[in-house]
Amino acid sequence: MTTRDDILGRVRARLNRTDANAATGRIAIDTLLVARPQGPRPQVDPEKSALVARLIEKSLAQSSTVDRVATLAEAPAAVAKYLRDNSLPLQAVIWPQMGQLDWLAAGVAVAARGAVDADLVGITGCFCAIAETGTLMLCGAPDAPASVSLLPETHIAIVPASRIVPGMEDGFALARAELGQLPRAINFISGPSRTGDIEQTIVLGAHGPYRVHLILLEGQ
Amino acid sequence: MESRSRQFKANTLAALSNPGLQQNMRQAKGKFVDKRAKSIRELDDFDGTRTAAAAIRNRVLDNLDLWLEKFEASASARGATVLWAKDADEICRHVVDIARRHEVKKTVKSKSMLSEEAGLNLALEAAGIQPVETDLGEYILQINNNEAPSHIIAPVVHKSLDEVADLFEKVHGTPRKTEITALTREAREVLRSHFLTADMGISGGNFLVAETGSVALVTNEGNGRMVTTLPRVHVVITGIEKVIPTLEDLSTLMRLLPRSATGQSISNYVSVLTGTQAAGDLDGPEHLYYILVDNGRADLIGSEFQDMLRCIRCGACMNHCPVYQTIGGHAYGWVYPGPMGAVLTPLYTGLENALDLPHAATLCNQCGVVCPVKIPLPELLRKLREKQVERGLRPQGERRAFKFWARLAASPTLYALAAWFGVRYLKQLAGGRKTITSFSLVPEWMLGRDFPAPEGKTFRELYAERGEKK
Amino acid sequence: MRAALFVTCLVDLMRPRIGFAALELLEAAGCEVVVPATQTCCGQPAWNSGDHCAAVTLAKKVIAEFEGYDYVVAPSGSCADHIRNEYPKILAAEPEWLARAVTLSGQVFELTDFLVNVVKLERVPGHFAGSVTYHDSCTGLRSLGIKAQPRALLAQLPGVELKEMRAAEDCCGFGGAFSIKFGAVSAAIAERKCNNAVATEADAIVGGDLGCLLNIEGKLRRLGDDRTPVLHIAEVLTAK
Repeated sequence: MTTRDDILGRVRARLNRTDANAATGRIAIDTLLVARPQGPRPQVDPEKSALVARLIEKSLAQSSTVDRVATLAEAPAAVAKYLRDNSLPLQAVIWPQMGQLDWLAAGVAVAARGAVDADLVGITGCFCAIAETGTLMLCGAPDAPASVSLLPETHIAIVPASRIVPGMEDGFALARAELGQLPRAINFISGPSRTGDIEQTIVLGAHGPYRVHLILLEGQ
Repeated sequence: MESRSRQFKANTLAALSNPGLQQNMRQAKGKFVDKRAKSIRELDDFDGTRTAAAAIRNRVLDNLDLWLEKFEASASARGATVLWAKDADEICRHVVDIARRHEVKKTVKSKSMLSEEAGLNLALEAAGIQPVETDLGEYILQINNNEAPSHIIAPVVHKSLDEVADLFEKVHGTPRKTEITALTREAREVLRSHFLTADMGISGGNFLVAETGSVALVTNEGNGRMVTTLPRVHVVITGIEKVIPTLEDLSTLMRLLPRSATGQSISNYVSVLTGTQAAGDLDGPEHLYYILVDNGRADLIGSEFQDMLRCIRCGACMNHCPVYQTIGGHAYGWVYPGPMGAVLTPLYTGLENALDLPHAATLCNQCGVVCPVKIPLPELLRKLREKQVERGLRPQGERRAFKFWARLAASPTLYALAAWFGVRYLKQLAGGRKTITSFSLVPEWMLGRDFPAPEGKTFRELYAERGEKK
Repeated sequence: MRAALFVTCLVDLMRPRIGFAALELLEAAGCEVVVPATQTCCGQPAWNSGDHCAAVTLAKKVIAEFEGYDYVVAPSGSCADHIRNEYPKILAAEPEWLARAVTLSGQVFELTDFLVNVVKLERVPGHFAGSVTYHDSCTGLRSLGIKAQPRALLAQLPGVELKEMRAAEDCCGFGGAFSIKFGAVSAAIAERKCNNAVATEADAIVGGDLGCLLNIEGKLRRLGDDRTPVLHIAEVLTAK
């Protein structure tokens, strides 16, 4: 007998499993996976300006910083300004899907690829953002590698206001609708990496970024 | 992991006489409790969310075999290999086999309590594979001669900054640092090189999503992401009870887990990982394995202890437990401390190997009211006590004392007689003082307290006398 | 209205005056109070130590003695909860007894809960002057919701000032048999409770469960405090 059969066999015996109740159980499972009921959710005003306001408020509470510009085309200049203001290098690794913007004009040297250890700044877009908690939802793809939001000390994310949703459930619904099957990696990011392991004192910048900066595109 | 739960009593005395530990525990208590209290106020319907979460967990446990089959099918369809392990040995065998198959020399680990159950690090080392713990707390323990964690989410809650500073100076051979930020950076630099050079990542799994065949990983440090993004191979080790139906259920549970654990609205990183690196992907593992572990869990299904399997490992029960706050986690002697550990340890390692644990609770139910999935922990502890009695595992003297009391209480005449003598004896023992300072019948009580003297007559006597006077 | 007083074994043995205070309060509230003479213990120690058999015997004894009154009142959240919420579990396997347990369950009340929420006592008979700090005992608090009731009653005494202690809802470390099995741990928890209570500089420490009060008093005296009285709420409400 395999371990699988042994474990499942004991679970089945303890649940008084029969062919008949297995069949009805499977139907119940399939029904549930279609219905996908939701639990109670805190109220989040779904109106666009309210979503923007809440995302900003919660992002700041997560120790992220936020800048607001109108359009995507203005993002490179905002990135350059942030980097200069914080005395960070004007050099970044970037998601290939964002590489077509005019970074040269803004004075930022970008490399469109996955991140390596030496990269100090990583620039990403986001699949959507979650207003409830101030969270970025990043879906991995060949032109959106996960390492860019992870290895560099500074992570800059470009967030179109139209992609702000109230809660995590809405992010998942969007993923199902737009992507079909889930990507290999969905990463929900809420502020810089941190640890409280030593004396329960929160320190920013554990293994991931020390800084997370959102550039909110209000007109997009 | 070898259990030291049999030495619980001695462990508690050692903990109480360790001033450093006492200081550290006092400090931690306030932080955990206050932060949680604040963060749950953000939810409009905290209790309704707890009820929903308990229902999600029950839904799976009531048909666990079918949900496991569903998860296995979904995960396999996305290219993961699903393995099963009955016990600690089989977990270790699987991991070593996988490592050998993929010619792994070094593996980076994000926190997994199941790897502690399995004693995996020792098994990997014995097989010539280097395990590196990457959660800051777990890393501190590993470089301190593989010390055991004392908390399931804050593994070094028992240590002070000074102790960590000493350890880093000694092990890293660097100048002593006294700032937590500097120590954290030092660990980051050491561990970064391991992330970049490891062939295999090992993680636990906070939840397995049956709908999509995904594992959800919750971390703050980002080490969970490193471990599952950079190495060629990713192994998830998790209990069979961790399945949940849908991503909607994950969303509900994520409103409770971080708040209950660390008092955060959301943890920094929640990763939902599905399958292996896809065509064109620039990162992610080429091979993904799930090891679904029994190690005592299957036998709880359908039993009076099934509720315990709802546990989502947040640690709120221990953070709020007066006993845990007083003795810390090591005293419990195995992987899981506090109330949830006092239930799980006897169930997973044998009732007779952890006789004290179910009794090491005041049944104050602070754990029960904070549990995000409404596990009736005091009731489960009480049931374990009942099991001990049924199986004749309690000490003779204790059984006799309880039987004696029960017999007295069942007979009003005997009770009155014994009470008459008892209260007079105690009154005399007090010798006119308010309290008795030496009383050999209850030596444990007398360890740290006086015994208040009784008035000298029972209520029943006095009430009867009053009746006569009237 | 006929109310039966369940004195509790601990009050019977250790602090009869609490029993008389409870009696006085119930009478002040207009109850005809009956004290069943054969009462002993509710059986909670047996149940909590895993002795199902003894718990059944004592549950049946209490049910037989206390059914048939309008109410049953106990000056203890812990004992009242045991009768109200545990008896139905203890007797689940015996339908006839279960039915009787369920009926009794609806009639049993903790003293302060009864005074405030059932008979709505508006003038407590005592006179107590000074400040008090109130320890919320675990079972009463978390299983019966006893929190506002004792405070509402204390507020009826014009001379009483309530000084809340830090962590009033934290366990005192008593835990019944826990205190004699793991005495050192229990006493360490009690010490935190005492420190929080003493820090209020209240004239008295007050609570609603004698087990906790004996634990706190025992620790307080060992710590060298011979002065601060540790009182049951019924004693305060009937103080002369």
